[in-house]
Amino acid sequence: MSDSLALYEMMVRCNVWEQKLLWMIDEGLVSGFFHAGRGQEAIPVGACSVLREDDYLLYAHRGIGYLIAKGLGMEKLFGDFLANSAGTTGGLGAGIVHIAWPELGILGQSGTLGGSFPIATGAGLSAQYRGTDQVVLTFFGDGTSARGTLHESLNASKLWNLPVIWLCENNGVGATVANERMLANQDVADLALGYKIPAVTVDGQDVEAVQSAVQTAVDRARNGGGPTFIEAKTHRFRGHYEGDPQLWRDRDELRRLRKEKDPIVLFADRLVADGRASADQLASITTSVRAEVDAAAELALAAPPPADDRIYQGVYA
Amino acid sequence: MTREISMGQAIHEALFEEMERDDTVFFFGEDVGEAGGVFGETQGMQQKFGAKRVFDTPIAESMIVGAAVGAAITGLRPIVELQFADFVSVAMDEIYNKAAKWRYMHGGLFTVPLVIFAAEGAAGGAGPEHSQCPEALFYSAFGLQVVTPSTPADAKGLLKSAIRSDNPVLFLEHKALANTSGEVPSGEHLVPLGVADVKRSGSDVTIVAWSNMVLRALEAASELAADGISVEVVDPRGINPLDMDTILASVRKTGRVVLAHEAAVTGGPASEVLARITEQAWDWLQSPVKRVGAPDIPMPQSIALEQRVVPGTSDIVAAVKEII
Repeated sequence: MSDSLALYEMMVRCNVWEQKLLWMIDEGLVSGFFHAGRGQEAIPVGACSVLREDDYLLYAHRGIGYLIAKGLGMEKLFGDFLANSAGTTGGLGAGIVHIAWPELGILGQSGTLGGSFPIATGAGLSAQYRGTDQVVLTFFGDGTSARGTLHESLNASKLWNLPVIWLCENNGVGATVANERMLANQDVADLALGYKIPAVTVDGQDVEAVQSAVQTAVDRARNGGGPTFIEAKTHRFRGHYEGDPQLWRDRDELRRLRKEKDPIVLFADRLVADGRASADQLASITTSVRAEVDAAAELALAAPPPADDRIYQGVYA
Repeated sequence: MTREISMGQAIHEALFEEMERDDTVFFFGEDVGEAGGVFGETQGMQQKFGAKRVFDTPIAESMIVGAAVGAAITGLRPIVELQFADFVSVAMDEIYNKAAKWRYMHGGLFTVPLVIFAAEGAAGGAGPEHSQCPEALFYSAFGLQVVTPSTPADAKGLLKSAIRSDNPVLFLEHKALANTSGEVPSGEHLVPLGVADVKRSGSDVTIVAWSNMVLRALEAASELAADGISVEVVDPRGINPLDMDTILASVRKTGRVVLAHEAAVTGGPASEVLARITEQAWDWLQSPVKRVGAPDIPMPQSIALEQRVVPGTSDIVAAVKEII
């Protein structure tokens, strides 16, 4: 499969996985504690496509694209939401916040937003200390960019020339509050200028634009050029959480965005227009991904719940 | 073979020995490089080990501790310095939620081998935000170990164990103890974390004391001996792990307990231990348990007032006499 079809397939995988999870929520198998990533698939897929297996990932909480794109088995992801032994946390976690997999560099996520920034700094420090050329990719939302931990971490990452990529997914709204009422400057990449960190703003609906920006950042970091700040302007198609009535939102505008800004549709159209793929090829990718996701879900649904003593495991090493 | 050295020297030795032994150990924090640490604990370290392994950070406590977590979960053993222990509050999310919980909430997939080094306690007019003993804040930080040495030997042995521990450890050295001296074994000296030490054996009353108050408790025990009262002094050497077996064995022997620490009585280290004693040793108690600690106020900056707030030997003696 060509690189561009692989990108397409990965975006479809994120979307189909999420659809399956939403079905599990509807069926009452999984709590509604999920922040859907529909509309933002191009960012994690484009970004993770240029990482190596041993590069580090600190992800954000919108969707699960980061994890699928980093190579984590989809049955493990389902297992974490089903809170059973198929999950990475062996049934302890029940959602996005707890998933981790050290072998793939997936370092987890901080439940307090902004808590990942210093940890990403430390992972970058660690790679530099150990003399490896690993990089650290850190995703966060525009809302989280208001945390003081970002200031502390941007400063240190530039000061120490750390191989950290700060990737802000700016979808214009933090939880349920529009950025006009949250951020003094809604162009989040401007924050990097204060630290003399190279910054770029990309169209977050364009998977190839994201891929290219992150590739530049990864090359810079691997070659000792230090951190990069990327702001990907994007759109969120669902609520903050499943069940969010989205009262703040203009319905007509949302319909327009879904129609005109779907990253998967946009990329499909480009691939067909460029002659890189036929509509049939793309349709068959979707069919095979559906089968793959169904098989992963079936495996995870069959896994047993943790025993009661699971709650006492792993407090101390 | 032992030598008499100060606690400051003991800590210095522990750091240098562990840095030499294991090159995944490194040290960062505010003013720890050329300056050698505000309390001198990293004096000469950068000169010996280089700026890669001992370096200064910006004034950014959340970043300092969070970066230590990031380095620890990716294979290193960072030691970070917070200068004054009061600054734990600036990095509370990183200590309480990240260092303590990262392993557990991510399914036990990571170890978090880091040491947070900080100086606690009143030291002559440092004021309400530079004088506290915050250890009891961390009773509920499950996943974190908290250590409070009272002697140079304990400081050296506990710090070396803390650096080798695969768990995050908050290591609190009392400022007033830095210049106290005591016998420290030559060569390799390790003290396991979470084992209480009976600093003096006795039969009439148990004093459980932490950190600086261990010295006051031992002075009190000597004074009380002159009155024919035999005092046992137990030093838990920290608050987590908490060696209740040793404490309870002493309580069962003496039937009377005084708990002494420099932190305020309310919410201080004694509160939890008192609760456990009443739950687990009620039948052996011959009189009510007494707590000795600071009054429930922030530490005043005036040295004269500060010295009235910090409990002294006479407060411990009085408490023992009340229950004997």
